[in-house]
Amino acid sequence: MSELWDGLREALRLIATGDRELFAIAGRTLLVSGTATALAMFVGVPLGYLLGRARFPARTLILATVSTGMGMPPVVAGLVIWLLLVRSGPFGGLELIYTKQAMIIAQFVIATPLVIAFTAASIQALPPRLPDLLRVLGAGRLRTLWLLSREAHLGLLAAVMAGFGAVVSEVGASLAVGGNLAGDTRVLTTAIVTETSRADTERAIAYGLVLLAMAFAIVAVLTVVQQRQPR
Amino acid sequence: MDARLEELSFAYGERTVLDVPSLDFALGRVTALLGPNGSGKSTLLRLLAALEQPQAGRVLIGGEDARMARSSVAYAFQEAVFVSGSLRANLDLALRLRGLAAPERESRLAEAAEACGVAELLERPASRLSGGEAQRANLARTLALRAPLTLLDEPLAGFDEPGRQTLLEELPALLRRFATTTIVVTHDRDEALRLADDVVVLRAGRVSAAGSKRAVFAAPPDPDTAAFLGYTLLRTDLGLVGVAPGALRPGPGDFTVELCVEEVIDLVTKVELVGTVAGQRLAVSVDRSLPAPGDRVTLGAPASATVQFSTRSRR
Repeated sequence: MSELWDGLREALRLIATGDRELFAIAGRTLLVSGTATALAMFVGVPLGYLLGRARFPARTLILATVSTGMGMPPVVAGLVIWLLLVRSGPFGGLELIYTKQAMIIAQFVIATPLVIAFTAASIQALPPRLPDLLRVLGAGRLRTLWLLSREAHLGLLAAVMAGFGAVVSEVGASLAVGGNLAGDTRVLTTAIVTETSRADTERAIAYGLVLLAMAFAIVAVLTVVQQRQPR
Repeated sequence: MDARLEELSFAYGERTVLDVPSLDFALGRVTALLGPNGSGKSTLLRLLAALEQPQAGRVLIGGEDARMARSSVAYAFQEAVFVSGSLRANLDLALRLRGLAAPERESRLAEAAEACGVAELLERPASRLSGGEAQRANLARTLALRAPLTLLDEPLAGFDEPGRQTLLEELPALLRRFATTTIVVTHDRDEALRLADDVVVLRAGRVSAAGSKRAVFAAPPDPDTAAFLGYTLLRTDLGLVGVAPGALRPGPGDFTVELCVEEVIDLVTKVELVGTVAGQRLAVSVDRSLPAPGDRVTLGAPASATVQFSTRSRR
């Protein structure tokens, strides 16, 4: 028990004194997971919109595949990306393995099914006639998309939170394709694993606290935006 | 603004929903699109609003392709749909999407809301409107646009009976004030008569009758259309005869039949006699109840209220 308190005290000291390594790793985590989530939104929202609105023969099969993807273990995603990016793999020539870009790709693969599924569900929950109404009133395609997104904002922000939450907390994929290289591809989750294995509990707890605080701050901001009543 | 359909054909997959060689909606007139469920009435409105594209033919609004004339059309769906926010925000959004400046929006919004009886509800979230309130709000949003062509899909659906009656009385004046050319979808004959100048009867995606309401109701072209318009169809020695709704009265007429009364139903303000005429079941409303079950009653109608069909005209 005293180890836990000592760890907490040391963790707070590291945070309060602005420990350079701690904040570098936190910044890198934010960069990798933030970029992966943004890319997942960029690709997943239009695809989710399409799956939510359009009716075509393979739609149900695609939705089932996407839903399966939501439950994909990160380490499996990491393994697949590793096989693709490793030097002997089909994209080995790109020399992306053990880089932040490889981690972003792996996290993108993890977050995208979540974003697609949440978006599709939120679009499907809108009144079916709403897109027709907006078209009849004179809204162009982009304006219609914007107004529908505003109507579906609860679901879309839930998609961001689910996507970011999934990638910022995963460790398997980041380890597999990032390699946990100190000062380069080490992020908070892989750093926690490293420090725990080194028995440096104080640092491990400090990284854990920062990870929790970061995730909470981002999700809290998104929740405030989500729960704001539109005029 | 007038509207015209030319050689129009529309299908969902293999199923042809509309097949209209030619149809005109005259400028400044109110036309009722009358037909049973599934006859293609709402699809026709969607084509006019360019929400659907025909497989063949053209939809013209003011001589222009319907896709180019969206800003000339206001369309109230049967189910009122709103974005989140207050009713005021919803009405304002509709006017904003038509590119109107703020002062113009405010005056149009207030005027339409007042006229449609929803001024008190403007600050209420649209999601909290009752069925009748939502329908009135839907109408207010459509009329506020003051579009050259107004499309109303079953505007009286979703009301309780007193609410429906009230709006039915108010609607003609509202249309005169806010709309020019109007097309109203309904499956109710009385609504069509009260609201419209012209009537188009659709049956199974085809126009079975079109013209002024007097002309259409006076001379239905076939027995099915006549039956839909409320005519009583009777097989007689003369052939199949249609008698206009309410035209059969006790006593002899140019066209006379004898009803064997089986049941007398007291409807308080009137009495309904149910029985058979030459083996065909018939119900007739009369002002007072003279006969009793088992009696035979002579019923007559003026020649002007009857239509005779050839036996082959029934489809």
